[in-house]
Amino acid sequence: MASLTLSPAEHDFITRGVESGFRSDGRGSLDRREVTLRIGMISQANGSARCRVGNLGVGTDILVGIKSEVNPWSPSDGVPENSGTIVCNVDCSPSAAQEFEGRGAEELNVELTQLLDRIFNGPQSGIDLEKLCIIPKQAYWILHVDVLVLDVKGGIVDALVWATRAALMSTRLPRVVVESIPDEDGVMQAEFDVVDDPEDMTELVGVENMPMAVTFFQIGRRFVVDPSEQEEAVSQARMTVAVSPSMDICAMQKGGVLRGFSPALLSEIMQSAQNVAREEFERFKKLYSEARSQTLDRMDEPSTGSTFLVPF
Amino acid sequence: MSTNIIDRRRINGPQRSVEPIYAKPVVAFSGDGRADGRLPESVRPIFMRTGPISPQASSAASPSGSAYYEQGRIRISCAIYGPRQGRKANPRMGIFNCEFKYAPFSCSWKRSHLKTSDEKEIGLMLEQAVSPAIRLEVYPKANVDAFVTVIESDGKAATISAAINCISAALVDAGIELYDSVAACSVALSKDLQWVFDCTQQEEDAASCSFLMARMPSVDEVTYLLQHGKTTPKQTADAIHVCTNVSTQVYAVICRHLKETLEGKNESDQ
Repeated sequence: MASLTLSPAEHDFITRGVESGFRSDGRGSLDRREVTLRIGMISQANGSARCRVGNLGVGTDILVGIKSEVNPWSPSDGVPENSGTIVCNVDCSPSAAQEFEGRGAEELNVELTQLLDRIFNGPQSGIDLEKLCIIPKQAYWILHVDVLVLDVKGGIVDALVWATRAALMSTRLPRVVVESIPDEDGVMQAEFDVVDDPEDMTELVGVENMPMAVTFFQIGRRFVVDPSEQEEAVSQARMTVAVSPSMDICAMQKGGVLRGFSPALLSEIMQSAQNVAREEFERFKKLYSEARSQTLDRMDEPSTGSTFLVPF
Repeated sequence: MSTNIIDRRRINGPQRSVEPIYAKPVVAFSGDGRADGRLPESVRPIFMRTGPISPQASSAASPSGSAYYEQGRIRISCAIYGPRQGRKANPRMGIFNCEFKYAPFSCSWKRSHLKTSDEKEIGLMLEQAVSPAIRLEVYPKANVDAFVTVIESDGKAATISAAINCISAALVDAGIELYDSVAACSVALSKDLQWVFDCTQQEEDAASCSFLMARMPSVDEVTYLLQHGKTTPKQTADAIHVCTNVSTQVYAVICRHLKETLEGKNESDQ
């Protein structure tokens, strides 16, 4: 997505390499780069995660913070009366690439925001949104998923979903007590109270069913996943497939303006998406539990700049 | 003064009155049949005209091509400007820009007259769906701009696919070099897990998944694909299959219209 100018020779080298099954960094076409994951580094947020795809110091770097908010229900919000909602927002920081300065990232922000919303806001995300309803037709939780893209080195969509998944899994909501109180006319009215106790927090329900995104980039007549910056500059089209742990397809979206996909390539992509996602779920589980144990270890230490930066 | 005194309390209606025409009650979408009596795989009838926005003589400000498109209650107009000099420029190939706008009165609720992020995203989708069909390499440093206005909408996915069809027709009218016309269609997964074509807003609200596909039938290339909602891989494969068939039919309708328009033009020239 970040525009990188390549010489025709480089362009040709990468395209032919991918077509014959070789990539410049030695990976296979469906292999991913190394992922670093940390959770819970932002104390003010209900959940947070930072994810870097690529080698130390150079890679796509995503920071996600989740803030919860109680919102009074109104029919014009478009939120069902017995459910809560997730609101996504992606912001590509100008520190990631020069062209993001000013309004340069506007289109990319809109595209990524809507894509993330399509994956996470709704029953397809696996999260039980009905549990985010406090009192039907009165009040519900909004989870604001705010994503900051700190560095872009290819494969931004998958990294975005990795980080958002981790952040939602680490999210803790304060407990809410609902009670019925009679008003002046003796009619019972439901009222709620948010328990202000950092120990008394609940996890989101159904986070284990969240989908994983696999994005395929078409290069020449073949495709790769998790492209490097150069590979992404060469690719003509991309296809994001979000796959749930039960191997259902939760969302699909094409991107890129240069080309379309042939039906044969499309069915191959659908097959590969499930295989890649299966491996990804395993890898995510392992990295998340590592990140979690590290967060628990640091609990007693004061939060310093180094806890935020060291692994990155 | 006295001549101006009239009885304001009397209703000065006409002598004869008739009952107003009421809208037909709409039956809710249920598994066993569609509200408008269509078959699951049938698309609402398509009407289109190319060149409704007349080019003004000696004006660079007039569009190079335009189209009007109707599909059931969906009404869309589109104007193409260019190839012309634009804001963005790529020295190697042209850029296709698309601006998509819902008219404030186009939906069941009032739309903002300002551009919302929803409309920005649809504009991007249209760019991604239509650009692969344009021979952008023959327009280096130039921009081709499409301005799409939705006058009336009925079903989001159906409106987007109608917009894609409308742009393709307008591009032909503008004489932009294309590999092929893009034809789009949309389906939604009904309660009884059947793919239903070209859903109205009401049907779409009841559906668990909506699916949109645009393709270039004569080169057999899928230029856009969007799925919103959960399905099994088998169902997605089915959707791709049925959309392939129906987009070919939509393509035939667009082509027939363009051919007739062209023949009409030739006759009037002679």
